[in-house]
Amino acid sequence: MRKVWTLYHKEMLEALRSYKLIWVPVVFMILGIMQPLTTYYMPEILKASGNVPPGMLEGYEMPGAAVVMAQTLGQYGTIGMLILVLGVMNSLAGERSGGTIEMLMVKPVAPAAIVSAKWAAQLTTLIVALGLGVAGAAYYTEQLMGPLSWGRLCAGAGLYGLWLLCAVSLTLLFSAWLRGPAAAFLGLGSAAAMSLAHSLLPSQLGWTPAALTAQSAAIITEGRGGTWGPACSAGVLIVVCLAAASLLIRRNKLPD
Amino acid sequence: MPLLQVANLRKVYGEHTSVDGISFDIEAGKCVALLGPNGAGKTTTLRMLAGLLQPSSGLISFDGGSGVDYRSLLGYLPQSPAFYSWMSGQEYVVFAAKLCGISSSEAGRLAADALEHVGLKDVSRRKIAGYSGGMKQRLGLAQALVHRPRLLLLDEPVSALDPIGRREVMELLRGIREETTIIFSTHVLHDAEEICDDIILMNHGLIAEQGTLSRLRSQYSLPVIRLSTGMDEKALGWLQDLAHRSFVEQSVIYSGSATLNVSDMELARRTILQEAASLDISLLQFEAGSSTLEDLFMKVVGA
Amino acid sequence: MDEIKWGLIWPLLVLQAVLAIIGLISLAKAERTRGPKWLWVIILIFGNLLGSVAYFTIGRKES
Repeated sequence: MRKVWTLYHKEMLEALRSYKLIWVPVVFMILGIMQPLTTYYMPEILKASGNVPPGMLEGYEMPGAAVVMAQTLGQYGTIGMLILVLGVMNSLAGERSGGTIEMLMVKPVAPAAIVSAKWAAQLTTLIVALGLGVAGAAYYTEQLMGPLSWGRLCAGAGLYGLWLLCAVSLTLLFSAWLRGPAAAFLGLGSAAAMSLAHSLLPSQLGWTPAALTAQSAAIITEGRGGTWGPACSAGVLIVVCLAAASLLIRRNKLPD
Repeated sequence: MPLLQVANLRKVYGEHTSVDGISFDIEAGKCVALLGPNGAGKTTTLRMLAGLLQPSSGLISFDGGSGVDYRSLLGYLPQSPAFYSWMSGQEYVVFAAKLCGISSSEAGRLAADALEHVGLKDVSRRKIAGYSGGMKQRLGLAQALVHRPRLLLLDEPVSALDPIGRREVMELLRGIREETTIIFSTHVLHDAEEICDDIILMNHGLIAEQGTLSRLRSQYSLPVIRLSTGMDEKALGWLQDLAHRSFVEQSVIYSGSATLNVSDMELARRTILQEAASLDISLLQFEAGSSTLEDLFMKVVGA
Repeated sequence: MDEIKWGLIWPLLVLQAVLAIIGLISLAKAERTRGPKWLWVIILIFGNLLGSVAYFTIGRKES
C-alpha cells in the first residue's frame, strides 16, 4: 500500500509540474460558467449577430436552472471527456515506449500497484476539475436563473463523473496495450459506441454505464433517481479495466 | 553456496532462440562479465535474471531458493536507462528507494549516500532533463545501488559513453565490486579484463566458455604461429598445405596470412622456416608466441 | 433584459487569461514543442479556450 502511495505521489507531482492539475480544472470551470452565461445572453448574442428573423426572439424562453446545469454536464460529456482521455492516453503507453516502466518493473512493485496509482491520479484530476467546474456553473446558474437543489446537483454530478471515469479507465486499459493516440481513439470510440447502443435500445441497455448521463440529467431536473444498475455496471467495468491493464503490463513488460 | 544458480535457462521467441539453455553459478562477492558480441543473448539473459522476462524454460535460484521474488535484493541498470526528465536526480533516487520498501526518512538518507557515491551530489537537485549521458548512467547506478542490493545487474554499462564517461563509470564499478556481487554485460573484452574475476563468454545464445580470468588466460595461451607471405600462387598453395601438417591443431588462413595453433612449437618453427627457405617463399612476417584472450574472443565471435 | 452583468463576466476573462499565462510559462520552459514556438505563442494569446487546450494536449513533446 505504501508503494501505491509512492507511485501516486509521483503521478501527482508530474500532474502538477506539467500544469495538468491546473489547466484541466481551469478549462472545466470555463466550460462550466460559459454554459449559463451563453444561455442567459442568448437573445443578445442572436440580436448582435444580426440576421435573426423578427418574432423569433419572442418565443425564446429562459430554461430553468436545473436544465442549464444538466446542459453544462453535457458539455463535460464531450469536450471534457476529450480532454480527460487525451490526458490519460500516454500514462502507460508513454512509460512503455519510453522505457521508464522497465525501471519500475525491476523494483519489487506489482503491476496492479502501478496501474491503480495511475488510475487514482486520474481520478483526483477528474474530481478536482469536475468539482470546481460544477461549483462554478452552479454559482452562475443561481445568479442568473434561480435556485438549485444542491443535493440533487451533487448526486447528478457524481453520476456524470462516474461515466467520465469509465471512459478514462477504458483509455488507461488501451494505454497498457497500444500507443497513446490509438488508446485515446479506442477509449473515446468505446464510450461513443456504448452511448450509441444505449440511445438505440434504451430499455434493453438501461443498466449499462452509458445510461449514467441520462440518469444524471433526470436526477438534476426531476429529482428522480432510478436504479443502481448503471452505477454498478460502471463499477464492474472500471474494476475489469484496471485488472486487465495490470495483466497486460505484467505480460508484455517490455517492447521486445 | 553460490548466490545465484542458473540451470538450463532458455528463451525462445517464436522461431528464434535467443538464449539456448545456459547454466552457470555466481559466487557472492564476485564480479562477473557476460561477454559476447551483439545478439549473443546477453541482454535477454540479464532481463530474465532481473525478472523482466519470463524464461521459456530453466531455473534461476537466488540464495538457494528458486521461484521467490528476489527483486528487492537486486539492482538493475538497463542498457539505456530511461528516467522521468521532470524529476530531479535526488527525487528519482528517493523514489527508487521507496519502491524497494524503504521508509521516507531512510530513503532520503540512502539516496544522498548513493548520489554522493556516484559523484552526482552537486547536481542532485537539477532536473534529469539537463543531465549528460554519463550523468544519466551514474544516476542509473545510484538508483540500482540505493537499497544496498546483494546482486547488481548491469547491461552494457559503459558502451554508450564517451571515453571520459567510460573511465568514470569503470572507476565507480571498481569501488562497487568491493561491496556487492556484480554481473555486467559487455562486448568489449578489455572492459571485462579490467575489473572482473570471472568471464562468461556467450555467442548465439550459448555459453562458449566460462571460468576465472586467470584460468582462461593460462588455458588459452597456446603456442601459436602467425605468418604472412607474398600473394603469389606458390606461397598461397604452401600456406594451404601447411594447415594439414601433423603439428597444426587449428588454422585460420586468409589472403596470405595464417594463424596456426601448433602442438610442438619447436618442430613447427623449424619446419616452416626450412620449407620457406628451400621453396624460396618470401616470408613477410613470422611470429611465434602464445595466443591471448583476444584470440579466444575473436575465434568465438568471428567464426 | 437588464444591462450586461460585468460582475459575472470578468471571472471568465480572468480564467481565460490564467489559462493563457500558464500556457506561456509552460511554453517558455518547454525544451521541445510540436511546431515552432512562436506559432504556439500566437495560438495561446489569440486562440482562446481551444488554443490553450490544443497547446496543453498536443503542443508539448515529452523528452
